[in-house]
Formats: sequence, structure tokens, C-alpha cells
Amino acid sequence: MQPADLERALAPKLGAGLIGVEPFEGMAGRVRFHREAALDLFRTVREDLGFAHLSMVGGIDWVTHREVFYVVWSDDANQYLVLSTDLPAEDAHVESASGVWPSANWHERETWEMVDVTFDHHPDLRHLLVPDGYVFHPLLRSFKLHEPEELEVKSRHV
Amino acid sequence: MSNVTLYSVSYLLSDTVLRAIGSVLPRPLSAWITNADLITGIAVLVFGALLLAASMLNTIVLIWWERKLLGRFMDRRGAMHVGYAGLLQNFADGFKLFRKTTVQPRDADSLGFYTGPTAYMVTSMILFGILPISSGWNSGVLPLSLLLALAVFSFAPLFIFVSAWSSNNKYSLMGGMRSAAQMIAYEVPLLLAVVAVVIVAGSFDLTTIVYEQQNYWFWGPLVVALVVFFAGMLAEMERIPFDLPEAEAELVEGWNTEYGGMLFAFFMLADYLRALVGSILVVLLFLGGWTLPTWVPAALTSFPLAGIVWFMVKTYIVFGVFVWIRASLPRVRTDQLLRVGWNRMIPLSLLSVFLAALLVTVKCLPVFGCVPSLGV
Amino acid sequence: MSEMWINMGPQHPMTHGLWNLRVRIDGETVLDVDPEMGYLHRGIEKISEDRHYNEVITLMDRTCYVAGLAWEHLYIIAAEKALRIQPPERADYLRMMCEEFQRIGSHLMWYAAFVQDIGLMSPFLYGMRDRDLVLDLFQSYTGARMTYEYMRVGGVRNDLPPGFTDQARKVLDWLVPRFKEYDQLCLGSDIFHKRCDHLGVLSASDCIRHGVTGPMLRSAGVKRDLRKNRPYSLYKEVDFDVAVADGADVTARYLVRMEEMRQSVRILRQVVDWLDAHPGPVMAETVPRWMGAPYAPVGREGYLLKRQYPKGVGFSSIEEPHGEAQAYVVNEGGEHPYRVKFRSPVFANLSAARTYLVGYHVADIPPIMGSVDVCVGECDR
Repeated sequence: MQPADLERALAPKLGAGLIGVEPFEGMAGRVRFHREAALDLFRTVREDLGFAHLSMVGGIDWVTHREVFYVVWSDDANQYLVLSTDLPAEDAHVESASGVWPSANWHERETWEMVDVTFDHHPDLRHLLVPDGYVFHPLLRSFKLHEPEELEVKSRHV
Repeated sequence: MSNVTLYSVSYLLSDTVLRAIGSVLPRPLSAWITNADLITGIAVLVFGALLLAASMLNTIVLIWWERKLLGRFMDRRGAMHVGYAGLLQNFADGFKLFRKTTVQPRDADSLGFYTGPTAYMVTSMILFGILPISSGWNSGVLPLSLLLALAVFSFAPLFIFVSAWSSNNKYSLMGGMRSAAQMIAYEVPLLLAVVAVVIVAGSFDLTTIVYEQQNYWFWGPLVVALVVFFAGMLAEMERIPFDLPEAEAELVEGWNTEYGGMLFAFFMLADYLRALVGSILVVLLFLGGWTLPTWVPAALTSFPLAGIVWFMVKTYIVFGVFVWIRASLPRVRTDQLLRVGWNRMIPLSLLSVFLAALLVTVKCLPVFGCVPSLGV
Repeated sequence: MSEMWINMGPQHPMTHGLWNLRVRIDGETVLDVDPEMGYLHRGIEKISEDRHYNEVITLMDRTCYVAGLAWEHLYIIAAEKALRIQPPERADYLRMMCEEFQRIGSHLMWYAAFVQDIGLMSPFLYGMRDRDLVLDLFQSYTGARMTYEYMRVGGVRNDLPPGFTDQARKVLDWLVPRFKEYDQLCLGSDIFHKRCDHLGVLSASDCIRHGVTGPMLRSAGVKRDLRKNRPYSLYKEVDFDVAVADGADVTARYLVRMEEMRQSVRILRQVVDWLDAHPGPVMAETVPRWMGAPYAPVGREGYLLKRQYPKGVGFSSIEEPHGEAQAYVVNEGGEHPYRVKFRSPVFANLSAARTYLVGYHVADIPPIMGSVDVCVGECDR
């Protein structure tokens, strides 16, 4: 399955929701889409293209915007596919994929607490890895770890 | 050695010591201190202390024996460092437990929390006093000693349940429930297996049962009863594969989860005391007690304390089998355990009773030949 | 007894790590479960953003404490793709050897923990004893038994010490008959079958719905092993079979893992033979010295060389002992990865807990969770 094939298969279903399909090393391609078309895309990819296995959901904070990517896998095609969408930083929300792939549940919980992306209609959007009531989103670029220079390192060997 | 009994030793001890004290004291006091009632009273106390010391010592050696055996089964050495071959390791562990603070959970019920382990320990110790270890080491002739032993033995679920419930922990409670269910389920086949022995031996007195095995040990003709008794004992002792009440994989430590320090030591000691008693009962009922077969050379049976030595050897071998089972079998599940208990063990034990009755009636077995001494 | 919630964890013998399984029970029947994760969350993805590419390897050892080398391998493949570096062939073989030995080590650890869960005491020690031999091998060429830091972007840190291959063969010869002993102790016991057959059933379709991979998926009869399906490293050069079983229950998972260890031994024999016959460099020459040096530069000076790499995204997926692990490394041209995202197989396997636990007994939870092979380190990351 080549990016061009994917684009041909997806374009009629999604229309303007599909931005394009880029090549990606080791994968069938990287599908870029607008978040409005998320649920349509998930259903098409899962049911029509046969990518039954959702491996992971992750978020990247590009400071200006946030990217959410989904890695899916098809057993028949023996291919990976990555779906990716950009969300504005001030209003980062996207439709949950857990209705289509139940395995998205925990991955979306993690992405929500880590990069502050809300997943609409998620069945159980609770904290997963950080404690309840934790207000920070650690994987945002604005969440700084200490600068190495600030640490006063006193070596016993000096 | 048959005239030297545990009580006579205690009496001798008390008599010698009191007379020695009396000889240096002035007249009226010496007469009082050497009076027969006092000597008897002290002798009884010494007797009890000896029993207690022997049972504790035996228990601790038994734990060592289990640790060493288990170590060997697991391709390691077990305790090695404290004392010769780790013999004193358990004393070190005991001191450690003794020094620890007893932590009581805030919402635990104090009465049950402390009474449970204590009563469990005490009833287990009483057991040791009932059982004859050799012709000399016993607490006198009790016509119903077997019944008494089993009755005291079956107190345990009550105390376990009390301590489990009063520690106010869900795991403890579940462990206590399991323990009670399990012990009650296996009590019945255990007793029925004992009935088979009683039918053949014609007595409830453990000493008589042992002497009835002069010609042949009961494990041969009563092999079904032995299997049932052995499995029942495994369940009563709560050892793998029947250690669900303290299945540490799911229930942390089962009914003694909340116990630490000396109270835990009580449970531990009492568990091993019961294990010891279980092994002793197997030896007494099926393996000829302190007697050896007649073909054994006399030199092996005539040295001082030969009875006790052979008895202990047998007991430790039987316990070794328990350890062997522990090292090689997985744990069963509660429902499976109860199903086996009610569906398999009880029919088997009834069969063993039937076989025993048959044996007594026919007085002959093709394998063992006709035994003239059989008969009630 | 009425219904109640019990907390199995965070300190509980069943967990084999630090997590909490909340269980709603009625008597002894499990009505509902809710795994609570995060007790071991160390923010490895976040720390990686502040670290040099080679420094992330240190974190990989800590990600999964029983399969550190497999996670190093996972990360290295992704990082090399992101940085466009090709390792030499011998390095790839060495990595495969690492991963397969790690698989045996991890599965032995699993075996030890699993038999303990069903109450078998001795095999626990046997598993640990034999795992020690594998750790000794690791120690002889990486210098460590748990945190190896052996792989580098562009190759591996050092070649094998002399005499290693003979020692490795000896270990493999020792292990094969041991697997038979393990089988006798488990499969030969009726109680084992009573405990484990038809337990924790997770059908193939449920596995795929919940993203479950690895031995759990293969135990449901799905023949999917990334080493075969999408060979990474040089797995297409070696000959082995994918272990599958039917039944999708605890016994099937046991069978799959045992067979995987046998297949790993088979792979290792080929790899070790190849390593004997083909000496060569273990580090790509295109890697700057400061990056792939045998000893990573100490202090910050090493990173002052602002070498610019072409931007790129690296994605890798390997068949880790627990299942299918994936790494997604975003390289924005700096000396640190811009974003690293890891997919832990245990994370997905645990998220399906409700499917395979509800309806069984409390006593069944340890064997089922044992058969899942939980490594909390990689789940929480």
C-alpha cells in the first residue's frame, strides 16, 4: 500500500477533511487530516482499509500547535500507518478514537494528561500515570525540567 | 527403659531438688518442703515445663528441617550461617520477632486480635501434651486420647476466624473464611479415616493403637485411610497445595496479614506445632509409633531412649514428605479444594472404613496373611 | 459477603511491580476491575527531551528492568532512522544476540514469577538460577547485569570478549534440557491444569480490539511476530518459527513463552555461529567519534559540537519479550530528540484487564496477571 493508494481510498470518504498522505519510512504512509474528519477517518481506516489494531496514540507539543498521532496496524496488509492531525494550542481537542479502537482508551488518557489534548466523548477521561488532581501537563514544552547548570554539583573527587 | 517415664523423671527431679533444699533448711521448714504433696505438685509443673520445652524445641528444629529440605529441593542450601548448618537461625529469627513492636490496626478489635493467636497457640501446645511420644514419654493413660487430640486439633478454625475477623482487614477476613470452610470440609474425611484405624485397633487410646501395630503397621492394610488422612492433614495444616487461607499470591498472608512481631511468631509456632502434631499422628496411627518391625536387629532398638529416637526419625521423615509436596505442587483453588473434599475425600474415607470393617470381620488379607491378634 | 472493593496493590504479592489493581468482588467472584497505574511513572519521555541521543539509552535500561537490552534495541532503531545512520552488520547481529538473550532472561523471570503465583515454590528458584547464567553472559560483555547501556547510535559499545561464544554455547546447552524440566513441573501436574486451563481467556478478536500483542496474542492463535512479519535488524537472516498456541488461556500463554525460549535458543545458536565467523567493526564509521565513542563523553563539553542532523522522524517496532513495543523519535535537528514516544506492550495488555479478569475468582487473579507478564517499569515509563 503506497501513499498514493491511501489517498485515493481516503479522499472520497473524507473530502476536505483529508490534507494529504505523506510517505513515511517503514510505514504505508502518514495521513494528515483535519480534526473535524477524525471520526470518519478512524472508521474508514478501521473498517474499509482493515487497520484493526491501534498501537499507540501520542501527542507532540510544537509550541504553536499540538499534534496528535495514531499508529495503526493492519494484519492483512502487514503495514503500519500513522494518522496525524494538528490542533491549535489554545483549543486542543479531538474526537476520541476509543469508540472505534477500544485500545485507544488508555493511550488517550495518557495523551490528555501529558500534552493537554482533550478527547471528546472519551468514556473515562481520568488521570492515568500522574496522580488525580495534578494540574500540570508534563510533556508540554512549557513544563521545564531543571536546567543542568542550576544544579550545584559537588564532586567528592575534586 | 520402659520403667522410666516422663513423669517419673519429673518426679525424681522435683524430689531430688526439694530434698536437697530441705537438708540445708532448719527443721520445720525442711519438713514442709519435703512433704509429698508439694513434691507431686512441683513434679507436675516440671512435667509441663519439660513438655513445653520439648514441643518448642521440636518445633524450632522442625522449622529448620523444613528450611533445609526446602532449600535442597530448590537447588540451594537453606539457612547456613547462624550456628552449625544454620541450626540457630530460627532462634535468631525468634529473637527478632520477639523484639518487634506488636502493631495493632486502629480499627481492629483488641479482644479478638490478641485472644485469637494466644488461644491458637495454647490449643496447639495442649495437643503435644496429649500425644505419647514413646512408652515413657506420655501424660498417662487416657482411654480416649485419640478423640481428645482430634477434638483439640479442630479448635483451630474458630480461633483463626476470630483473629482474622477482628483484624479488620478484607484479606484477613477472606483468609479466615477460607480457612474455616476448608478445615470443616476436611475434618469429616479425617475423622472417618481415623475411624478406620480405630476399628482395626479396637481402641481410642493412642498407646494401645501403637501396640496393636506390633505385628504389622497399619499403613499396609489401611492404605486408603492413610491417603485420606494424609490429604486431610495437609488441609488442616494449611500447607501447599492446600494453603489457600494464606495464599500469599492473592491474599498477601491470608488470615495473619495484620499480625507482626510476637503475635505472628505465635501463629508461626502454632502452625508448625500443628504440622508436628499432624506428622506425629500419621506415625502413631499408621507407621507403628515408636516400635520397629521385629526383624530389626535388637541393637537398634535397645539403646537408651531408642523409642523416642525412632519416633522422631519417623516423624521427621513424614514431615519431609509434607515438605516434598510443598516443594513440588501448585496451590489449588478454594472451590476445587472444597469439591475434592466433599466429593472425593468423603467417599474415599467411607471406603476406608468399609475396608477396615471387612478386615476385622474376615481377619485375613491375601497380602498380609492371617493375623491372629486382629479382632475387637 | 456483600460486594466490596479490595485494593490489590500497590504493595501486593500479585502485582510484581508497583501498581494497584482495584477489584470489586462478591464473595470470591470478580465483578469488576480497575487497574491504577502511575506508581512507577518517571517521565522517561520527558527526560529524554533533555538528553542527548546516546544518553537516552541509559533511560531505556530503566524503562523495563527485565528487558533493558530489548528496549535499547527499540530506541536505537528509531533513533538511527531519525538520524539516518546505518549500523554495521556485526553490530546488528550483536543486537539480535542481546535481544534474544534478553528474551530468554525475561521469560525466565516471568516463569519464576508466574509459578510463584500459582503456588509452585521450587521452579521459582530454578527460573532465577537459570536466569543468572544469562545475566552472567550479559555481565561478561556489557559489564552490567541489569542496566547495560550497551548499544549506541550507529552500533554497539564494544565487541565480545574472547571466549564469549563458547560460554554462550555452554549456557544454551544447559538451558535446553531445563526447559523440559520446567514443563514437567508445570504441565505434568494435574493441579496446574486445573488452575490454568480455560482461565483468563482473551480471544483473538478481543486481543486485537484492545491492542494486546506479544505472547498473549499468539496464545490466541494469531501468528504475528514482528521478527517474522516485519523483520527488523537482521531477523530475516536467521531461521526460526513463530510460537503460537490455541486456547487463549493461561496454559496457552505458558506454552507460547516456553516455545519462544526454545526458538530463541535456536536463533542464538545461529547468531553466535555467525559472530564467530565474521569479525568486523561494531560501530558505523559515519558516526562522529563523540557520539559513538566507547565511553560517552562526560560533562557537557561533548555536546558543544552543534552537529546538525537532517530533520526526520524515526519509527521502530520490535517484538519485545512482552509484546510489540514501538518508539517514535522526532528529530528536529538538535542534539536532543524533540519528542520520544514509546509504546509499551504491557500498557496495552493491562488496559484490557477488565476483559480477561471479570467473572473469574479472586484466586485466579494472580495466575492470570502472571500470564500477562506485567513489567510496570515499561508500562508507566
